[in-house]
Order: sequence, then C-alpha cells, then structure tokens
Amino acid sequence: VTSLRGIARRRIVYGLLGLGVLAFAGFMISQALNTSLVYFILPSEYAQQPGQYQDRRLRLGGLVAPESVRFDDRDLQLAFDVTDGIATYPVRHVGSPPELFRENAGVVIEGRFTEDVFVSDNLLIKHSEVYEAPKDGHIDIEALRESLQ
Amino acid sequence: MLSLGALGSAAVMLALALALYAIVAGIAGAARRDPRLLTSARLSALAVFLAATTAIVVMQVALLTDDFSVRYVAEHSRIASPVWVKIVTMWAALEGSVLLWAWLLTAYTAVLAVTAPNTVLRPWALVVMQVVQLFFLSVVAFAANPFVVLANPPLDGPGANPLLQNHWMMAVHPVLMYLGFVGLTVPFAFAMAALITRRPGTEWMRLTRRWTLLGWAFMTAAIISGGWWSYEVLGWGGYWSWDPVENVSLMPWLTATAFLHSIQVQERRRMLKAWNLLLIVLTFSLTLLGTFLIRSGVISSVHAFGDGPVGPFFLAFFVIVTLASIALVAWRWDQVRDRADLDAVMSREGAFLGVNVLFLAMTFAVLLGTVFPLFVEATTGGRVTVGAPFFDAITLPVWMLVLLLMGIGPLLPWRRAEHQSLRLNLLAMGVAAVLALAVALALGMRRPYPLVTIALAGWNVASVGLLLAGAILPRARLTGRSIGEVFSRYAYEQKRRFGSMVVHLGVVVIAIGIVGSGGYRVDQQLRLPYGERVAFQGYELELLRPFSEQTGGRSSVGVEVAVFERGERITVLNPRINRFGDRQMLVPTPSVRYTLGHDLYLALAGAVDPNQDFVIIRAVQSPLVTWIWIGGAIVVLGAGYALTPSDRPLRRRTEAAARDAAARDAAATEAAPAKAAEAASDARAEA
Repeated sequence: VTSLRGIARRRIVYGLLGLGVLAFAGFMISQALNTSLVYFILPSEYAQQPGQYQDRRLRLGGLVAPESVRFDDRDLQLAFDVTDGIATYPVRHVGSPPELFRENAGVVIEGRFTEDVFVSDNLLIKHSEVYEAPKDGHIDIEALRESLQ
Repeated sequence: MLSLGALGSAAVMLALALALYAIVAGIAGAARRDPRLLTSARLSALAVFLAATTAIVVMQVALLTDDFSVRYVAEHSRIASPVWVKIVTMWAALEGSVLLWAWLLTAYTAVLAVTAPNTVLRPWALVVMQVVQLFFLSVVAFAANPFVVLANPPLDGPGANPLLQNHWMMAVHPVLMYLGFVGLTVPFAFAMAALITRRPGTEWMRLTRRWTLLGWAFMTAAIISGGWWSYEVLGWGGYWSWDPVENVSLMPWLTATAFLHSIQVQERRRMLKAWNLLLIVLTFSLTLLGTFLIRSGVISSVHAFGDGPVGPFFLAFFVIVTLASIALVAWRWDQVRDRADLDAVMSREGAFLGVNVLFLAMTFAVLLGTVFPLFVEATTGGRVTVGAPFFDAITLPVWMLVLLLMGIGPLLPWRRAEHQSLRLNLLAMGVAAVLALAVALALGMRRPYPLVTIALAGWNVASVGLLLAGAILPRARLTGRSIGEVFSRYAYEQKRRFGSMVVHLGVVVIAIGIVGSGGYRVDQQLRLPYGERVAFQGYELELLRPFSEQTGGRSSVGVEVAVFERGERITVLNPRINRFGDRQMLVPTPSVRYTLGHDLYLALAGAVDPNQDFVIIRAVQSPLVTWIWIGGAIVVLGAGYALTPSDRPLRRRTEAAARDAAARDAAATEAAPAKAAEAASDARAEA
C-alpha cells in the first residue's frame, strides 16, 4: 500500500510531466502551423506586398488572361497570365491544361512566387455558377474572390 | 390524389409528435416509477420508427417515380438516371442525408426499446435517444425539409452531384458513416442515463459494449470506403488529403477508439469514470460539430456561417449537448471521481491511458488544423488553408507512438508488470523490429518515417505472435491437444481478445499500405502519342484509340491505353471523363490496375481532342496501396468477429497468474459444457 504522501508526490510528478508534454506539443503545433499555412490571395494583393509573400506557399486565385496561354506539349510546359483586373502575373506550370481550362476561366493555382513569376504545381479550374467572366473588362474583385474560394 | 410531399411531411410531423410524447412519458414514468407509462414510452419508440420509415418509403417512391413536385426530387434527381442512382440520391444531398440519419436513429432506438435489458438505466437512455432524434426530426421538419411541395414542378431535374454518381461506393459510404455516428449515440445515451440515475459504474458501458464496437466498426468501414472512393474518383492517385470533410469524420473516430480502450480500464480497475463519460460526450458532440462545420459552409469562409439551412441548428445542439453533459458530470462529481490510482505506468491500464492521451492529442491537432483558418479569417481577414504538411507533421509522430504502445499494451498485465517476462517479450519484439528494419533497408528504403513504421510493424506482429503463443502453448501442453485445435478453441472462446488481435494486425497492414503509397508514390504526366510506346516505371504505355460512350444519363469520353510489361501486353486501361446529364461539371475518372505490389493508375490530364495526335495522361504508380483496403477489411472483420455472440459465458480471468490454473480447469471441465451444448442443439433440432 502506497502512503498518501507518496500518492501526492506521484501526482505532482505526473502533473509536471503532463505540463511538460503539453508545452512541447504546443510548441510543435505552432511551429507546424507556421510553416504550413497557405494564404489565398489575388494578384492585386500580391502586388501590394510582394515581399511578404515571396517564397511562401500560396494559393493564387484569378482569371486566365486572354491571349496569354502557351502550352508546349513536348515538355508539358504551360505558361499563362493570371489576372484580377488590377494586377497580372505570369504563371509557369508543369503539366497539361485541364479540360475546361480556357481564357477567362477562374483558376486557383498553388505554388510560390519566385521574383514575379508564379511557379505552380497544382492547377484547379473553378467553374463557378456565381461568377460570370467579365464582358466589358470590368472585374468585381469581391465577387471574384468569393467565387474562387 | 394526395401528394407525396404532403404525405412525407405528415409522416415526419407524426414522428416528431410521437418522439415528444415518448420523452414526456419516459421522464414521467421514470420519475413516478410507473411501469405502464414506461411501457408506453417504449412502444412509442416503435411508433416513431414506423412513422420515420413511412417518410423514407415516401421519399423512395418519389425518387423512383420521378415525382418532381417534391422539391428534393426536383433538385437532385433525374429521369434518365439508373435505378440505383435514384435510390441513393436520398443521401446525395443535405436534406435527404439528415432524413436518413434521423431514420437510422429511430431504428436504433426501436431496437434498443425492444432488446435493452430492463434496468434502471433503460428508461433514461431511451429518453436521451428520443431527445437526440427529436433534434434530428426537427431539423428535417423545420430546417431542411426534403418534402416541400413545388407548385410548378419541373419536367426533369439535374440529377445527383456528379462526383457522387460516379462511383457505387458513394451508395455505401454515407450510410456506413451514419450507422457509425448513430451507433455511438447509444453509449452516449446510456452514459447520460447513468449520470441521471447516479450509477456511473460500469453498468452503462457493459450494456452498450456491443453498440460501441458496432458504431466504431461502421465508422472505420466508412472512413476506409471514403478513402477508396476518393482514390477511385478524384483522379490524383491519393486517398486522403486532410480535407475538412475527411477531418471531421476522423475526429470522432479517434475519440471513439480512445473510448474503446479506456472503458476496459474502468471495467477492470474501476478507474477513469469521469474520463470515459467525457470521452463519449466528446465523441458524440464531435459528430455534431463536424456536421455543423461541413454543412454550414463555415469552413470555406466564416461569412458563409448562415448559408446552409441546418448550420445554426447543429451548432446550437452541439453547444447544448456539450454544456449539458459537462454540467451533468460536474453535478455528479462525487460519484464520478476515481478513488483508485494508477499502480504503475508499466501496466495494461498505463498503456491504455497513454494511448488515450495520444488519440486525444491527435483529435485536438486535427480540430485545430481544421478550424484554424476560421480564426485567421475572423481576426485578420486573411484567407488561409492549413495544408497537409501540418497534419502530417503533427499526426505522424503520434501514430508512431500509437503503434509502439499497440505492441506493448496487450502484453502488459493489469496493475503491474512482472519485469522478467516483460523483458523477454520486449526483447523478442525488439529483435523482430530490427529484422523488419533490416529488410526495409535492404529493399532500399531510407526515409525515416517509413523505416520506423516498418520496424514497428515487425514489433507488432511479434507482439500478436507472443500473445497467441502465451495463450495457446500452455493450454496445448496441459491438455495434450494439438496446437491447431487449441488455437481454434481459443479464437472461438475468447472472441473479444482474439478479435482485438485481428484488428491490431489489420492496423499494421494499413500502416504498411500507407508507408508504400504515401512515401513511394510516383506521379507523372506523360504525353502519349497514338501508336507509340512510352515508358513508365517498368511499364510501357501505348495509346490505342479514343472512345465515347452513352449509358444511363452519363456520357463518357476516354482513351484506351494498352499496358505492356516486359514486352507483353498485360491489360488495357480506360481512363475517361464523365459528364452527367447537362451538368457543366466534368468528372475525370481514372482507371486502375490493382496488384498487391503496386497499383498502376491512369487519369486523363487534359482534353481528348480529335484534332490532336496525342493525349496527356497522369500516370501514378502507388506501391502497396491495395493493402490499405485489405487492412481495412481485416479491421472490420476483426471487430465484427468480436461482436458475434458467444454461446457460453466467458470465463473471467483477472489475474495473469491464474491463467495456467484456469487452463487446467478448462481441461477438466470442458467436456461437460460441450455435451450440454450438443444436447441443447439436439433439442432445438427436434423442436
């Protein structure tokens, strides 16, 4: 039979151990969160603070700019410009343009900016019923943002 | 003619009224100890079930007869769809899913009302079940009524969500998930009943042990089948992407797994009473929270908070359930707190406690990663997603520890480990782990997590081997029977224990499948010109011809790709893109060659253009991925085996030291029960 004091002492030790584990876990979690948060932005948001988003993993949303699409089917290199009507940036993507990829299509691309070129490794088409591609060249930024989410 | 919509709504309202009556009668009957009221409350559970079944039948009739005056049918069904699609359309969208969930709940409650043993807990457990189904029936009736009648019904509808129509697995997966959720409502209801009646002992968990395991098995099957569905449909060759929908199904599974282990500690050692109660509360409320997160649209944006019709309902019920249950635990704290203490960390209960902490830590991390984007958006306005790297970084080390404990725990005796036998066992397991590691290294594996997992697989296989040897060899020696005979007798008599070994082996098999497919997947886009062979991972792929097909409301465009291995043509794969009805959405559908070593997975990466002399294909080689599905089947079979009724009461062996004596006893007495069983079956045959 363990004495009461022994039990109390053991509880303190377990409590401290538990706190230590919790602190360590909290540290690990915040580290992991910090490195794996992926921001969703539009080209104009990048244009405002390019430094902040440099070399970070991003999800960049926008429309495929007209007359910007080039696809090299030998090397499977896809190049196009993504725009939100305010800012436009070139995109490099390895792989085929998906079916439904066309000018003015809403896209979300995942990757990084190196200099001012967005290098993507994941390309998603957003065929949204909410957002209609602009007819007169004017783009409603908020509607675009919502439709790409 | 009476409209189906009105009939369905009436059935739901009737079920609602009956559930309300059952609650009032149940509470009054339990408070006044009035058997007639209690019987009436039990019978109303059957009546609620019948009313809800009527609603389900009405919905099925509406779907199968293309009655577009019912809004749900108009919005989600289509005349040209095949019959099976029409049937499963009932759970292809929100309103129908909630109806199905409510109906399964009424079915479980009816079964409980009939089969639950007559104890003090039963009336209250039925009341809690009725309260839960009252909530679901109210959601069906007031927030997401699928039976709303359209004044101007359309001539045809758009059909079910293409992603769901694309694979038969979608007919199964949601039903399994709801069966799991509902199954775990039963132990929750009994836990609440135990608190209300001041009997927080082991009675409630013994009464619901089967239900807990059943719910857990269904959830496991649901998660595995969901993974298989995304593998076969989503076209990226993976099966788990830490998507919020996946995360919210994983969280209650993690807490339920913790619960399955910790209730054994209470059954054996009368410890962890409060912990078990809180765990089952957490499991149940996580299913509600998950439904809220997914169905309210809050995950994609906090501003979508009120978008779904049911979001606020689920959030409110989640808050009420959580607060009320915690208040109940606090109120009964005097009965609930533990008086026993852990004797030694190196004991069965120590290992179970450890694995509990690990599962809860994982639940917390997954929850944090899932809702963190909401915090960021609410505080800074920025839109973020928490990527798979976060979840991998947090959960992989925890899984390694879980696998480590999974090997040790079952070998440790209750209370305190004897160091001598433990050391020998650990040594044997360590040797097995090193051997497995050596094999992995020889196969060229170098990455840390896969290597550790393989070593732990060896560790766990050795552990199960030692467990079986420890149980069987002494019996065989004492009784003089053959090992095979003793083994089958042991597997038959110790169903729970043997079932748990099978489940643990299944987990090891899944882990190996995840190591191969997660760590060594090759994913590449290939340009395939017609009539030329292109090399990929030891195969050669040749594009034969494009094809197009029309079947049952579905049109497909795809290509035939011949697969060669060592110059020999082994198969033809048909990756395609499906379109359902006049929906805009295209569903790329991969084509997979399954083998035990690795899968060859082809999906169309671009358009099939008749003016082009090539097609671009996404080719994935995914090693060992099939073992995930096989392991999942093993886990479910093991759990199912543990669930099968045993036809004689299990002998309780509490002390490891008593095991040999018990085996000797068994040898002396086992002829008698066997004869009795024979006599009984003869009597049955004659009757």
